[in-house]
Amino acid sequence: MKKISILALITSLFVSAIAVANEVNIFNARHYKADSELYSKFTNMTGIKVNLINGKSGALEKRILSEGADSSADLYITADAGRCGAMDAKGALQGGLTSAAIKDAVPKSFRTSKWVGIAKRARIIYYSPERVSGAELSGMTYEGLADPKWKGRLVIRKSSNIYNKSLVASLIKNNGKKATAEWAKGVVANMARTPTGNDRAQIMAVAAGEADIAVANTYYLALMLSGKKGAEQQAAAKKVKAFFPNQNDRGTHMNVSCAALVKGAPNKANAVKLVEFLLTPESQEHFTNNTFEFPMIDGVSPSPLVVNNLGLDFKQDMKTKLASYGKNQAAAVEVMTAAGWK
Amino acid sequence: MFRYLNIWFFSSLFVSLIIIVPILTVFSSFFENTTNYFEILKNTFLFEYTLNSICLLVSVLFLTFIIGTGSAYLVSFYEFPLSNFFKWALILSFAVPPYIYAYSLTAFFENYGTAYTILKNLFGEANYNSHIPKFDGMLGSILSISFSLFGYVYILTRASFLYQSQQLIDLGKNLGFNSYKSFYSIILPSARPAIVAGLSLVAMETLAEFGAVDFFSINTLTTGIYNSWIAFDDLAFANQLSFFLLLFIFALFIIENLSRRKAKYHFNSRGGFKRKEKFRLSKSKALSAFIFCFLVFFLSFLFPLSQMLYWTIKFPENLFDLDIINLLLNTIYLVFLSSIILILFSLISNYGNRVSNNKILNLLSTLSISGYAIPGVILAVAFITFIAWFDETIIKTLGFLSIKKIFFGSILGLVLVYFIRFYSLAFNGIKSGYEKININVDESAYLLGYSKRKTFINIHIPFLRNSLLFVGILISLEIIRELPITLILRPFNFETFATTAYISASEDLLEAAAVPSLFLILIAAFFIMITSKYILRDNNE
Repeated sequence: MKKISILALITSLFVSAIAVANEVNIFNARHYKADSELYSKFTNMTGIKVNLINGKSGALEKRILSEGADSSADLYITADAGRCGAMDAKGALQGGLTSAAIKDAVPKSFRTSKWVGIAKRARIIYYSPERVSGAELSGMTYEGLADPKWKGRLVIRKSSNIYNKSLVASLIKNNGKKATAEWAKGVVANMARTPTGNDRAQIMAVAAGEADIAVANTYYLALMLSGKKGAEQQAAAKKVKAFFPNQNDRGTHMNVSCAALVKGAPNKANAVKLVEFLLTPESQEHFTNNTFEFPMIDGVSPSPLVVNNLGLDFKQDMKTKLASYGKNQAAAVEVMTAAGWK
Repeated sequence: MFRYLNIWFFSSLFVSLIIIVPILTVFSSFFENTTNYFEILKNTFLFEYTLNSICLLVSVLFLTFIIGTGSAYLVSFYEFPLSNFFKWALILSFAVPPYIYAYSLTAFFENYGTAYTILKNLFGEANYNSHIPKFDGMLGSILSISFSLFGYVYILTRASFLYQSQQLIDLGKNLGFNSYKSFYSIILPSARPAIVAGLSLVAMETLAEFGAVDFFSINTLTTGIYNSWIAFDDLAFANQLSFFLLLFIFALFIIENLSRRKAKYHFNSRGGFKRKEKFRLSKSKALSAFIFCFLVFFLSFLFPLSQMLYWTIKFPENLFDLDIINLLLNTIYLVFLSSIILILFSLISNYGNRVSNNKILNLLSTLSISGYAIPGVILAVAFITFIAWFDETIIKTLGFLSIKKIFFGSILGLVLVYFIRFYSLAFNGIKSGYEKININVDESAYLLGYSKRKTFINIHIPFLRNSLLFVGILISLEIIRELPITLILRPFNFETFATTAYISASEDLLEAAAVPSLFLILIAAFFIMITSKYILRDNNE
């Protein structure tokens, strides 16, 4: 008898619930506490259960692709437009994010019918006001990072980092592959150290005097200033200032966290509902106040920490289509590797 | 021929088949054309990955050798303050997986990290950052892996020292050897098989290491496989890298097996030796020995533990964000399910080998322990590749429903790949237990009219109790710490301490990673403490 009950227990554990439920399945590569709070709110409002599988973007994409038409994934949410674009290129997505609510909320260059941006971030330059003068920075562009005057003064993450891949992909889109290859060599020559650490580590390297300028995303400085990372980092963040490049031409490089509709999604309607929910002013406000990203929709302002310390009035690059990040990603990796960008 | 075909044969065949599948998948795609990527860059990467792997391997082996044999030598031969405490406390290092060690290193030494805070509180505000050494990248990976894995060398070497012949050492003394000379010319050489066995385990784990090197973005063959599969969609290139890696690993595997055989011979010949007496060290030497062991204990266990504890206290909100009960239940669930299945099948195979004494069966079981030599990342990738292929070409062609859902993102798939990876732990553990039961015991039992089943249940199992417990603990420790397989194959809404820590860390939320890391260390340390006497083998005789 004992044996049978153990056996029954084991089998029941293996067989996952097959019953069709009112749910939506998210393959999630964004792991902010704020997100799970929003999902609970969504469940409370609609009764739709949100199932999550968390992971890094690459591994999640592989699972969606290997599962193919049988995938249980409805939405794929990740923090880089290049990843959504790449999934689209592989034919893993389907159209359907075309409701009026979505189209009205999100500017055209930040969405396709298969994926939409849900929160914005800019990849900008941080500098030490003690060691970098206003004149030196005046008119500074991403292209200018290769200028020999920054020799031994620049820190930036590894080439394997997804935000760098998207930034370089946007440069390839705007300046061509050949010019970008030359640019990458210049950047590598200017590096103050072999790339190491995350975005926050780059900002702290400037604060600690290891370098004069750093490239990192906007929300990291706000995160440090918020005190959520401790008093030391809060003090460090105050030693660094933000600069938005390319203000005199196309604008600062923007990236998004995006939600993509997976082909064969078993709960397509619920998935669309969730995306619409994430684009409501309440959800957007929740994002801006907790993850310190920029809102995707008009009418919501960024967190005061972002506004006061980074400034609000900067020209965003609204011209370069985010879909090009995915298309040029392989070329970006090639260019950076060839330049010896670790 | 057909007399071989009994239940034991089929169960061994079944196990071997399951395990051989991922290996075959890797090898079969070796000759495929690699696509989507640029040949020249591939060659650059291949060179860089291989070089990094070798650099990591050599440095880790060197460090673990020094730390492992050094501390084992001190606690086995000498008496000094707390030497009996260090004897078991040093194995607590197993509770800290390399990736958590990596988080601790970063947290402590980074700009404005814990070291900075300590200096600031002691000496006031100043720019200490440029004076604090940075342990990241390759150096960080080497330290993380070494302090987490030296325990293999320590445990095996210590066991070998423990049974070394006192006569041999006395002989050295009579020949006028001082303690250095007897260490180099007697003690070390006779412990060689054990040291080699420990080092080859370290080597396999180092080559398979994923979490720490991924955290420090060091490209080794293993992370290269993962990245070329994921970033470049180049399964064929990933498999080619796997092939190179497997060549490395199989060489190690063979070395390990050979040295294990020798080690066994060595252990078996210990009967009749008199118990070794420990030397009491003079004050200054005792102090040095104490400092060495304390440093190892501090660096390998206390340091990561206190860094994680400090962060948990400093950022307490993370403690409340985490559903600890749920994580604990998930971890325990995986541990129990996998342990039961692994132990069950290893018992069957071992028992089958014992009663049937069949050469083919023996060969099959040797084959089926090779899973441990394959990194978890590769196993998971190969598993997905194989199931997807099998589903598309066979199951669907035959008109059946897709089987992918049964294996991807299910506990079944997860436990199956754990099974492949950790089968050798269970099999070898139980095998060494069986070797201690004389075959005459079985024959006497049959003479007394016991059936095979009764012999198994009433005689073997009680004899094997310690081995089973030991194997259970080993598997539990591995599964509590396991990262890549769980990460790739786990179901919806299913997290363990390891995956939670990894995901927070990869999102630049190291503070949030501290809480699951702390719990992981505590649980693993608890497991180690309650069974330290089995791990140290003090009790087995």
